[in-house]
Amino acid sequence: MTPLGKWKLTRILFTILYLMAGWLLFTGSVEPVSLALGFGFSSLIALWTYGLFFEEQEAERRSLIPRVHLFLVFVLVLLFKMYVASFRVLWYIIRGRVNPEIVHFRTRLKSDTARVMLANAITMTPGTVTIDLDQDHLIVHWLEAKTTHSGYAGRLIKGSFEKLLKWIWI
Amino acid sequence: MTPFDFGIVSYFLVASSILGLVRVVIGPTTADRLVGINLVAAQVLALIVIAAVDQKNWAYLDVALVYDIFGFIGILAVARFFGKREEKQ
Amino acid sequence: MIAAIIAQIFISLGFIFALLGHLGVIVFPDVYTRLQASSTCATTSVISFFIAAMVDSGFSVITGKIVVISAFFIVSSPVSAHIVARYAWSRGIMPWRRRRQ
Repeated sequence: MTPLGKWKLTRILFTILYLMAGWLLFTGSVEPVSLALGFGFSSLIALWTYGLFFEEQEAERRSLIPRVHLFLVFVLVLLFKMYVASFRVLWYIIRGRVNPEIVHFRTRLKSDTARVMLANAITMTPGTVTIDLDQDHLIVHWLEAKTTHSGYAGRLIKGSFEKLLKWIWI
Repeated sequence: MTPFDFGIVSYFLVASSILGLVRVVIGPTTADRLVGINLVAAQVLALIVIAAVDQKNWAYLDVALVYDIFGFIGILAVARFFGKREEKQ
Repeated sequence: MIAAIIAQIFISLGFIFALLGHLGVIVFPDVYTRLQASSTCATTSVISFFIAAMVDSGFSVITGKIVVISAFFIVSSPVSAHIVARYAWSRGIMPWRRRRQ
């Protein structure tokens, strides 16, 4: 078997694994009939869409299996920052005076999943919404902008998320 | 201390989704209306979950899950549809 | 007892965030700023209601299902905000800026 064929098989198997996890979360039952049905459908879907789920060039071990315990820490940090950010946006709404700007910056993350998670985290936190994500280039709309300098704005907005995500997915 | 009355919360959520519909009606562009629809979808999701906990009816939670997925796909479909149509013109 | 107090605190937070978030969506001047209010405040209010429901229902199957729903909501809500923002950006709607003196 060629290395490319092996990689294809690995991608199909991991897609089936993730789809089965989703099936178990949705149904919440471990009856044999339900499990067999879930396995059949997830292998059907995996054979069809494994190319979308894992890119062929993305041969990184951490992008297949993230570090789960650090991911839980990330979710807790995200929830806390969400509350802080919401109080800030409340203050802007009450004050009624905002200073929006568009800022562009780059990220150092390599994996696509990590980039998407970074964009989501930016949308959740202090008055920033990701408008566009193209490879490693982010366009962000910033309520109450402190600066328009690209590097400084990137450091202020990304904060500790980039470091955490780098630990989780590289 | 008495446990919280979830009935008040559901009335509040209905009222706030009407407030969200104001933006859907008056919004000058399609994007404004999408923002309003997004808001109303989130409020209705919360309403379904609160109703499930209030009435101890588990079936509502499955409804909420499917409602969440379809609200997401609906917004994606509307954005794609209007984007394509305005490209053609 | 303690669970009821925690649930009440989170429900009050949800009330405040939902009311002022809707106010922000009506008051703010353009699409992107409205999106800020909706994506931050409304999401936080819905998450607060979910946390209150989880605390109220105790440790059971219902809690697990609400955890799944809120996990999906945390993923899907910023993505839909991103879809709306990207749609507005590709239509060429320029963001509103405060006039400089």
